[in-house]
Amino acid sequence: MGQKIKIDPVTRIEGHMAIEVEIEGGKVKEAISSGTMARGFEALLIGRDPRDASYVTSRFCGVCFSVHQLCSARAQDMAFGAKVPWGGELIRNLVMGAEYIYDHPLHFYQLSALDFIDIMAVANYKGKDKDLLAVKEKILHLVKVKDTYPFTPRYKPDEYCVRDPDIVIHAIKHYIDALKMHAKARNMGAIWGGRTPHYMNIIVGGVTSYPDVNQVLRFRSMLDEQKKFIEEVYIPDVIAFAEGPLFPLAKAGVGGGHRNYLACGDFPLDPERKKLVFPGGVIVNFDPKNFKVLPFDQAKITESVKAAWYKERDPVHPYDGEQVFHLEKKGAYTFIKAPRYDGMAFEVGPLARMLIAKNKKVFDFINKGAKPGVVLRHYARAIETKLIVDACYNWLDQLLVEMTKPGFKIHDTDHFEPPKEGMGYGFLEAPRGMLGHWIRIKDKKIQNYQAVVPSTWNISPRDEKGIRGQCEQALIGVPVPDPKNPINVVRVIRSFDPCIACAVHIVNGNFSLERFIIA
Amino acid sequence: MRDFEKELELYGVTRRDFLKYCAVLAASLGLSQYDVRRRLAYALESKKPPVIWLEGQDCAGCTISFTGLTDPPVASILLDKISLRYHETIMAAAGQMAEDVLHETAKKGGHVLIVEGSIPEADDRFCYVGGKSFKKIVEECAEKAVAIIATGACAAYGGIPKDTPSKGVGVGKIVKGKTVINLPTCPVHPDHLLGTVVYFLTTGKVPELDEIGRPKIYFGQSIHDNCRRRAHFDAGRFLTDWNDPNQKEYCLIERGCKGPAAKSDCAIRRWNDGINFCIDCGAPCVGCSEPGFYSEMSPIYTAESETSRKIYAMKEKGLL
Repeated sequence: MGQKIKIDPVTRIEGHMAIEVEIEGGKVKEAISSGTMARGFEALLIGRDPRDASYVTSRFCGVCFSVHQLCSARAQDMAFGAKVPWGGELIRNLVMGAEYIYDHPLHFYQLSALDFIDIMAVANYKGKDKDLLAVKEKILHLVKVKDTYPFTPRYKPDEYCVRDPDIVIHAIKHYIDALKMHAKARNMGAIWGGRTPHYMNIIVGGVTSYPDVNQVLRFRSMLDEQKKFIEEVYIPDVIAFAEGPLFPLAKAGVGGGHRNYLACGDFPLDPERKKLVFPGGVIVNFDPKNFKVLPFDQAKITESVKAAWYKERDPVHPYDGEQVFHLEKKGAYTFIKAPRYDGMAFEVGPLARMLIAKNKKVFDFINKGAKPGVVLRHYARAIETKLIVDACYNWLDQLLVEMTKPGFKIHDTDHFEPPKEGMGYGFLEAPRGMLGHWIRIKDKKIQNYQAVVPSTWNISPRDEKGIRGQCEQALIGVPVPDPKNPINVVRVIRSFDPCIACAVHIVNGNFSLERFIIA
Repeated sequence: MRDFEKELELYGVTRRDFLKYCAVLAASLGLSQYDVRRRLAYALESKKPPVIWLEGQDCAGCTISFTGLTDPPVASILLDKISLRYHETIMAAAGQMAEDVLHETAKKGGHVLIVEGSIPEADDRFCYVGGKSFKKIVEECAEKAVAIIATGACAAYGGIPKDTPSKGVGVGKIVKGKTVINLPTCPVHPDHLLGTVVYFLTTGKVPELDEIGRPKIYFGQSIHDNCRRRAHFDAGRFLTDWNDPNQKEYCLIERGCKGPAAKSDCAIRRWNDGINFCIDCGAPCVGCSEPGFYSEMSPIYTAESETSRKIYAMKEKGLL
């Protein structure tokens, strides 16, 4: 019998999550992840005008804010029979590009970096750089007046924490710079999105924002600044950490999990929608020397409610999903369902996308000895940010040509009225991974609505067969030499960039729920 | 300030005495006693005001909106202006360590409490943080707070979660007998939040509020009254096709715009450093600054909602 510890709340993620792990012989033997907040969006949508769905589902999450809006619009596009004009598609791509450019660096600096540096090392900075000395002074002042929130309290830095004063002070400076950069990246999205978080311009059939040339130029000039930061600061930082002090973690493959990867593929580069920024596919039991990428088929998705507080039923495809609460359910411990593909648990997100794309930079790092896990996940996230930046330039060029053609269109106005009956699904590669929305329409109103979101895949609980979700599996075997300092546990969780508010589906019910606590 | 204190001690004046003198002096000058004392106390202890930021049934959108400030940059606010003791999305600590800080700060009091997200009225167990019901956490943190700010539509009036099975409600419904400053809109406008916090820290007072707890300075006028498209409304020109460049600036009432029924300064202040706002990207105002958001505003993209019907009735009477 090992020692059980509970981390509740897990901070620096989106949403409310608790994790319980059992530690034996300095390693995690068992892990249970739990989503601890619910609202009940899908139930709210039933009976509404279908077009409301893109606005309402955007509020699943304010960090990855507009992914649901776009995914929902795509599901409606199918159900309404709408054909999005290429001009509308380009603007959808561009605002989503801005979302990526803001979201990935934010995850590395604001949500993860504090787990990898010993912030107090700045005191030993001996350099002469004026900017860095200002950072040092700021931190030392906070220490002096005993007010170092929100950087402290924290888990004790361990052997993987960077203590080199030069690297740490740069990281803190970049932490502060990144705050500014991500605010600017969001302003870039607002050029067409209206404002952020929660864009306003994406609707069924296309977008509402008729562009002008100056907006294209403005977006491009802001993109130039982001590109510089991403290429000269963010990517080099991630690579320096991954190939330097964190390499032992990378080599040990800490936080690898099932090694099954899933991507729907996304972001068309041409009007025929043939070429994509991210190809789709499925990898089962990844082995870098020998793996196959199989085609992705949405019909193979099911959701299990075995370990979640919902009425017992066999796993079903999301079209037939429901949310009926059952909070006295024995063995249930979360508000998150367990999506499976072909009956297996999968990881979605940057690592999945880059492995499926056989990205050269990521495979070079694998050939150096990195195994799938915490570090490779951060690495893949940084690498793909650059792919999105490049694609944004391509889309801007195309938009400029497209919008100057006679009869330029951004919206399919002929299909804006809800159909009497219809069904449709939309898929999207969100920053955190593959996202799917399914809608059924009856009498021009929403009859059923389901979303299966990236964090539902990554942070799912066990299913009928007892197969753990990817994050739970990824925690097994993770070294925790000191149970009072489970820093590796939060590193693994945060490497998935979880978004728990998104992951929870909920409905009504009167219940008495015993909090799931292990003694 | 420290040296100044030492100097005073040489004259046998204690810190407490000094604060008392200041208070008397302030009162005689007609300044707020409380404020001068408080600000001096901060100065003497070189302390930044402690802030607790709670997230309940939220989407973190208000947090993200707040971190979108560029002038002043959010980093300077976090590091120089306030002492952010607890914020789940930002703080380094996790688990018990995070909870300990929260409870210590709340027990000590004197903090500014910011709440993001609603509180589930249907059943406490829809939202648990650190093994405690969110409702209890809000009550505990509100008890000794010097100011309570409900940030965003959810924390103000329940927002979208109000119409879900969990029946989310705003902070004002949970915290009784204390002033709650409501800053609705979905998400909160970063200027509204920063301005309110700074106003309070500067004056020690709550800004003037309207009858539903919103600062009048931000929520005094309807969006419609300040909208650039107002002339098109008056002339009866309404947008029906987003593809037509000639209609690009037309009024969006027929596309379900709730501007006449929504009070907020969005149309003047705009969003994201003034780059844009909902109506300017061709989307209707959804009325997220109002207690009726979201169900009274639904459907969003056609003029068939309860709110749109009211707007049209007013239009008929020539009241808009």
